[in-house]
Amino acid sequence: MSVRRALKAVLVDLNGTLHVEDSAIPGAQEALRRLRSAPLTVRFVTNTTKESKRDLLERLTGLGFDIAEHEIFTSLTAARNLLEQQQVRPLLLVDDRALPDFAGIGTDNPNAVVVGLAPEHFHYEMMNRAFRLILEGAPLIAIHKARYFKKKDGLCLGPGPFVTGLEYATDTKATVVGKPEKTFFLEALRGTGCAPEEAVMIGDDCRDDVGGAQQAGMRGILVRTGKYRPADEDKINPAPYLTCENFPEAVEHILKQML
Amino acid sequence: MPSLCRIKASGLKLQLCTNETQATREDFVRKLRGLGFDISVSEVTAPAPAACHLLRERGLRPHLLVHHDLVPEFAEIDKTNPNCVVLGDAAENFTYANLNEAFRLLIGMEKPVLISLGKGRYYKETDGLKLDVGAYMKALEYACDVQAEVVGKPAKSFFESALAELGVPPEQAIMIGDDIVSDVGGAQKCGMRALQVRTGKYR
Repeated sequence: MSVRRALKAVLVDLNGTLHVEDSAIPGAQEALRRLRSAPLTVRFVTNTTKESKRDLLERLTGLGFDIAEHEIFTSLTAARNLLEQQQVRPLLLVDDRALPDFAGIGTDNPNAVVVGLAPEHFHYEMMNRAFRLILEGAPLIAIHKARYFKKKDGLCLGPGPFVTGLEYATDTKATVVGKPEKTFFLEALRGTGCAPEEAVMIGDDCRDDVGGAQQAGMRGILVRTGKYRPADEDKINPAPYLTCENFPEAVEHILKQML
Repeated sequence: MPSLCRIKASGLKLQLCTNETQATREDFVRKLRGLGFDISVSEVTAPAPAACHLLRERGLRPHLLVHHDLVPEFAEIDKTNPNCVVLGDAAENFTYANLNEAFRLLIGMEKPVLISLGKGRYYKETDGLKLDVGAYMKALEYACDVQAEVVGKPAKSFFESALAELGVPPEQAIMIGDDIVSDVGGAQKCGMRALQVRTGKYR
């Protein structure tokens, strides 16, 4: 049995784990306060393509959660970090509401393409603009590759199909920055001074939250709230480090058994 | 222009194999004749007629996501209560709304059937390179987790029907084209020889 390094960081998924849309998971606010009483760094992570950090912060504090903006890490943040690292200027095919998260990044004379969920940008002319840039060598960055999502009036194409089309046309591969990519989790931990082996992820999506985190070297706790369905824990290998009822139970386990 | 005449004058049989899906064969021939090429409709093998043949054979009623100008090729086809999607080089018709409509139909089918008129990655127009039907075919394949059936180059059946039109076996034919996959690759896989020209979309 390998020697476990001490736990120093906890990553917490948002929708489905701390809250479900506009309702908090019962007891979650108090559980978060208890978690903060321990010597741990906490980060809140989510795949979103149209909510800026400010929007998320507003919703969470409105629900009574004690959270600071710098503790939130989203797939948009991951995209931004990548752009800064590569020092490129993006053509942003993202929702207007996501633009604040890219403030300060130059977009004139673009030499990179970022694709999020942005139906208003997925028309032929814009797709051709993106296509030509990528053909000329611009890196293609995908916030995530969801196939479709559910709206009130039915299913709608996600960004995945458009990214796939651009990959095919240009014979290149996109860099996907959101969960369950390993880089997403490593980026979320960057700045905490913690290695993956010193961190645990709590989430309701077995593949994207727990599976992704464990692939990155972290431990994963699956909670039975949000999109969880019975036997989800059997769908990944290795299985989750722990499966429990909800966020408050996960916190209890961490405080009693992982410090 | 003299080159085409020279081929015909030499006694070699000629067939134009095009994946053109932004116009009917009649329009296509009219355009080429306007440029000085001496050809007729029977000398053109194109995807839309081949697709119609397939649709009739299999009792398929298509939802069309194609260029406006191609629609007349499907005039005789029953398009009510569609049980398949036919995708062509729709250009400006590749809007999110149109793609979403095609997607919803496909994902709602018990057995999704997606027929793609060609699978080219891009083509060259006077104002630059543009995404071809292949990119959108891949998009819908990914969205619905389905495999499209390709009608047109580089599908073997397409070249075979052109050869049948000429009554010539593949070993006695050569294909000339600018697209390394659709023209050259496809033809060679049928047993024909092929010539790559460095014009058009060649890079």
